[in-house]
Amino acid sequence: MGSAVLSLALLAGCVVPAQPGAQSAPTTGAIYIGVSGPLTGQNARYGAQWKKGFDLALDEINGAGGINGRKLEYIFEDSQSDPKQSVIVAQKFVADPRIVVELGDFSSGASMAASPIYQRGGLVQFGFTNSHPDFTKAGGDYTWSNSVTQAQAAPALADFAITSVGLKKLAVFYLNTDWGKTTEDLFNKRAVELGGEVVASEAYLAEEKDFRSALTRIRDASPDGVVLISYQADGALIAQQIKDAELKLPIVGSGSLESPDFLKLGGAATEGVLIRGQFLPEDPRPEVKTVVDKYQAKYNETPDYFAIHAYDTIHLLAKAIEIGGPTRQGIHDALPKLKDVPSVIYGKATLDPATQRVLNPQFVDLVVKDGAFVLWDGKTGKQ
Amino acid sequence: MPHFLRTFFDQTINGLVIGNIYALTAVGLALIFGVGNLINFAHGSVYMIGAYVGWVCVTQLHMPLVATFGVVAVICGLLGMGIERIGLRRLQNSARIAPLLATIGISFVLDQLVQIIFSPNPQSFPNPLPTTRLQIGGVSIGMTDLLIAAIGIGIGIILFLFLRYTKIGWALRATAQDRDAAQQMGVDVNRVNQAAFALAAILGGIAGMLIGLYFNTVYPTMSFQAGLKGFAANLLGGLGNIPGSIIGGLVLGLVESYGVALFGATYRNLFAFVILIAVLVIRPNGLFSRKRQAPPEPLTGTFIANNKPITLPVWGVIALAVIALLLPFFVGDPYFLQILTNAWLLGMVALSVTLVTGTAGQTSLGQAGFLAIGAYASALLTLRLHWPFELALLAAGLITAILGTLLVLPAFRLRAHYVAIATLGIGEIVNQVILNWNGLTNGVMGLTNLPPPTFLGVVAVLPHQIYWYSLILLLLGALFQWQLLRSPLGRTWRAIREDDIAAQAYGINLNRYKALAFAASAFIAGISGAFTGHMYTYINHETFTNTTSILVLTMVILGGMGNMLGAVVGAVALTVLPELFRGMADYRYLFYGLALIMMIRYRPQGLLGSI
Repeated sequence: MGSAVLSLALLAGCVVPAQPGAQSAPTTGAIYIGVSGPLTGQNARYGAQWKKGFDLALDEINGAGGINGRKLEYIFEDSQSDPKQSVIVAQKFVADPRIVVELGDFSSGASMAASPIYQRGGLVQFGFTNSHPDFTKAGGDYTWSNSVTQAQAAPALADFAITSVGLKKLAVFYLNTDWGKTTEDLFNKRAVELGGEVVASEAYLAEEKDFRSALTRIRDASPDGVVLISYQADGALIAQQIKDAELKLPIVGSGSLESPDFLKLGGAATEGVLIRGQFLPEDPRPEVKTVVDKYQAKYNETPDYFAIHAYDTIHLLAKAIEIGGPTRQGIHDALPKLKDVPSVIYGKATLDPATQRVLNPQFVDLVVKDGAFVLWDGKTGKQ
Repeated sequence: MPHFLRTFFDQTINGLVIGNIYALTAVGLALIFGVGNLINFAHGSVYMIGAYVGWVCVTQLHMPLVATFGVVAVICGLLGMGIERIGLRRLQNSARIAPLLATIGISFVLDQLVQIIFSPNPQSFPNPLPTTRLQIGGVSIGMTDLLIAAIGIGIGIILFLFLRYTKIGWALRATAQDRDAAQQMGVDVNRVNQAAFALAAILGGIAGMLIGLYFNTVYPTMSFQAGLKGFAANLLGGLGNIPGSIIGGLVLGLVESYGVALFGATYRNLFAFVILIAVLVIRPNGLFSRKRQAPPEPLTGTFIANNKPITLPVWGVIALAVIALLLPFFVGDPYFLQILTNAWLLGMVALSVTLVTGTAGQTSLGQAGFLAIGAYASALLTLRLHWPFELALLAAGLITAILGTLLVLPAFRLRAHYVAIATLGIGEIVNQVILNWNGLTNGVMGLTNLPPPTFLGVVAVLPHQIYWYSLILLLLGALFQWQLLRSPLGRTWRAIREDDIAAQAYGINLNRYKALAFAASAFIAGISGAFTGHMYTYINHETFTNTTSILVLTMVILGGMGNMLGAVVGAVALTVLPELFRGMADYRYLFYGLALIMMIRYRPQGLLGSI
């Protein structure tokens, strides 16, 4: 039992074993961002989209000479969006002195399990897809995000469905994740304030493929419109099955639906779907058009929100590195100072030191017309 | 037509269509189980590949639907024969658990290959059938519904004729009844196996393609749920029972459809598994097993191989433990320490599995449920009642032991593979309850800000502290288990494993001893889950999923069934392996699958051998 007693003493912190010497970031060569995200497994497709956005942004930054003459690069470690692996990746990044800031992970479970490791390691964890309301609150001052929270997006969606489109009796489908559930709660609250009524509310899990049973129930509640708080693949399936069931109801969707995949997977069933989104590739604003053209030239496909958001995030971090210098502490100190950073999605992005998130995000209203997203004219589909 | 009646008919049609797909998948699994006594984990992957082949034919090559079915059948048939070659034939005379592990490896390889070739994005599969719907007295039926029904019925008839009237059909049935006798009568069992795998793969592939048409999408990860549901349908009807599988599939489809109609889509799997377990409790051999059927083979023959395990003397084990304890003095890299910390925590779970599965012979695929119970128990005790961590950790172990045993109680009547699926169902039910019981568990939002582990008031957050804490928990767990195994209790468990009827004849109360085994197992797993939760500081219903259960069983089989040191070695191997392949990025899990297949090929009895 001698060894056990010794180790208990060690555990209590009496003796500190060999630690790698505290190394500071190298001052020459490339500057590295660590990315923890899914490259394999259930969510691999999101990791693939991220990469495209990252690469495009880095082409621009490094093409223009990098940051103070140093190239910006990223190291992508696959976590499968699984907490077992994201904590390992976090330790790896924290121990690697080249990494000055971290991006990801994708899901709340994987991201928030790693947050304490980044916080202790003094490495900013920039969870750019993390909309869990507690993500930045629970993490500490090294946990930041530029993802829109449901507190911002959900009431905006209710305003759109009720005030702009003119629906009164709503049936809501929502993805039963922390994102979907919070959105639904806040949506319902705002909808009631605006004088609307939610007559049916259907939760479903990400792996759900069959909505026919739920649609039968929705039909029985006789709503005057359906609201989708969904991702692209499941949203497309629901739209498809609404059409198959011959339910002739207007569909209003959350911004997450806005992706070429939604149109491709949903086909004709997506015609007329109204979305309060964040990004429209066909948006005529010059800051959008330039980036979309570049993306199309590089990948021969239209970017979706995930790719462009990844692109935006790299530019935001590049700005932070420029202001604070290419060190962990420098980036940590620079983030609260970021104001009006040019952004495809937000126009201009400002980080709010109080919430550690983006301030007053803007939205864009769209409709699916002839198999493409177009800006909503304020009339089509109005009830 | 009255409103509720129309709803009822619509739900019935939905259920029957999905049920048809489940049935097609289940029949394939039944065929393979019949001749090879093997649960084919790669079956879901074949289903997914069938869907992709169909997608390529229809959308890329613009082939007509009939020709597409032909191509799907040929390619999947060949794939099935390949799986038989790699997964079964060469492993036939070794440990009988080996083929199961090989099929897990094959499924990793197939899933990853498709993901690499076709990208992980879902692909749109536009339905070439006309979209007109038939209206029959207020009920509307789509063309795809009719196609699926027609194919389901058609295949049922063909299969019946094939098994009844062809020579190879007879051989198949003979092999399923008694393999050795069939061989003696001159049946070439290798050919029979090959035929069964080919046939099963054809059915699975067609099912995958139909589901692609039905939902207009194909994606690489569709394999897991498909395999799971096919397996459930097969068990519902009776393992290896073909007509039973068809009915089981339809019943499962209907039950899910009605369940979703009444309670919402989140409850789909909850319903499916509650019904499954309820049926198994009433009819332990499935709905359609004959009363006088021979009892299913005890796990002895299935899981425990005849071989000489590698044993280490006690001082050897102590030396290993001391080396592990001293490791942080020599390697301070937190990345390395975190990998081993994960391995120690999973090693505890592997110990808990090898206790019920290896020693007591009750295959558990529900260990993730125990992890989740432990993690939530300790999280709630510390967050809501402000208990100190040390006390909450111990309490979590006890709570998991009690709750876990109560949950598994209905499965005590079951034997062999039925226990496996029942425990898998229990794991799934635990997650569903966590998801839906908002008041207690905070539902999908999960629990945030779990206090970090402390030891006598000292916070353990640094990599070497967490490392030592988890290692000491593992060592204590192992010591506890070792003491149990040395006692008469351990002997009794092994007796139940070897021959439960004989054990009963000696006056052993089976239920009491099974309960003790599960309680001890859940205690260890619960503590591991609780510690993991506090290490993460955030848990939700996705933190411990049934893929973790399968991973841990894989560790145990790899290390050698019932072998405590083997369980830990398996845990270390399968935690370190994906890290070694990190440089390969997207190809990481392809190599992981290949490594699994290779290891089982050369050490079919497990790395350290079964005890």
